[in-house]
Amino acid sequence: MATVDLEFAEQLEHFGVDTASECFNCGTCAAICPLIYEHFPRKIIRYAQLGAKDVILREADELWRCLHCGLCTYTCPREANPGELILGLRRYVIANWRGTAHVQT
Amino acid sequence: MYKPKDIIELIADNVKKTGNPFGAPSKVINGWWKNIPLPREGDGLLFTGLMYQSVPFIEKTTTYLERYEDTALVNYVKYGRFVPKFLVGWGFALLASSEEKNKFNGMLHSIVEVLKKSKVDFYYRPELDNYSGILLYDLGDVDGFIKHARSVVSKLKEKGVKKLITVDPHTTYALKILYPKYTGETFEVKTYFELVNLNGSNGTKQVTLHDPCIYGRYLEMSDVPKKVLENLGIECVAVRNSGPFTNCCGGPAESVSPKLSRELVDRRIEELQSTGAPVVAMCPICMANLTKGGVEVEDLSTLINHCS
Repeated sequence: MATVDLEFAEQLEHFGVDTASECFNCGTCAAICPLIYEHFPRKIIRYAQLGAKDVILREADELWRCLHCGLCTYTCPREANPGELILGLRRYVIANWRGTAHVQT
Repeated sequence: MYKPKDIIELIADNVKKTGNPFGAPSKVINGWWKNIPLPREGDGLLFTGLMYQSVPFIEKTTTYLERYEDTALVNYVKYGRFVPKFLVGWGFALLASSEEKNKFNGMLHSIVEVLKKSKVDFYYRPELDNYSGILLYDLGDVDGFIKHARSVVSKLKEKGVKKLITVDPHTTYALKILYPKYTGETFEVKTYFELVNLNGSNGTKQVTLHDPCIYGRYLEMSDVPKKVLENLGIECVAVRNSGPFTNCCGGPAESVSPKLSRELVDRRIEELQSTGAPVVAMCPICMANLTKGGVEVEDLSTLINHCS
């Protein structure tokens, strides 16, 4: 079972992400992403919206499969900036690994 | 797949120590300018960001990484600062063959030729030409990136540099978009092909131009190199997925998962080869990955140089 933190989307602002709640999970990002069979990045963005921090940290390595190619950000109908969201989650995870509170944005 | 944590800390540590991701002195990597006449004074500073020069080293390193992916040796990367000497520092510096080094240095020589032919007022100083830190940013180590970027900026500011001429998409993006945002310093950044002003008709020729993600999407400037080639009588055959919808070459995945990288490049090569015209790249990472995928690729700079 995973605990959720409803404030997480706000916490992500410290990591340069202020669009997490814009996403309405349409899946355009997952359809255009070169990692087609991974259901990426839709799933992990949903975790971020729910504030499922434990799951994000447990599955953190998946974040580094992203190529930062920008196709998802370019095509997102909500301008939720999925590519930048992934980058922000990487920052969040690294801060956790390093035990630093937050990074400069 | 390699543990991102191990790769990131290894790279962050290298950048901290040597200013580049490899842990070898930048002087060892950046020797392309020796033996060619280059002005030390001028209007715009040629800023390579050490990307072209690094590719022969990256290629060798990733060959090893590919060999050991999914084996127990993956777990030893975290000891990289001590154990696999062939991946870091001087051991790494000895990896690249001089043939490969000459190939990529030659592309920088072509860029110089093309700028000269276009009568661009530029100069070069190796001590001011530093790695941009872009890999740290892409991997999510924004603290490390900012720290490094500030040191690069301070060297440029100290010499009063205002105009930069870049040669690859990653360094261009870092200096044009990220540096102003994260260091507060803005330079006038132009990519070399934006300054090319050449005409000719060295026979009509068709090429397949692979747009890198950064030029195609992030900076939306795919039309610029196309126009340069058009002025030289070279036609860019339409590629499935190009411009802002271009497909990634897979290069950025090479340090974390060479296997994934290989899969993506195979997909892209299929798209590029379906045109039947020779493939041209304008990013050293794309160039390396497409070449690794088994296709013959020419760099935009050499093509322009040969046809002008």
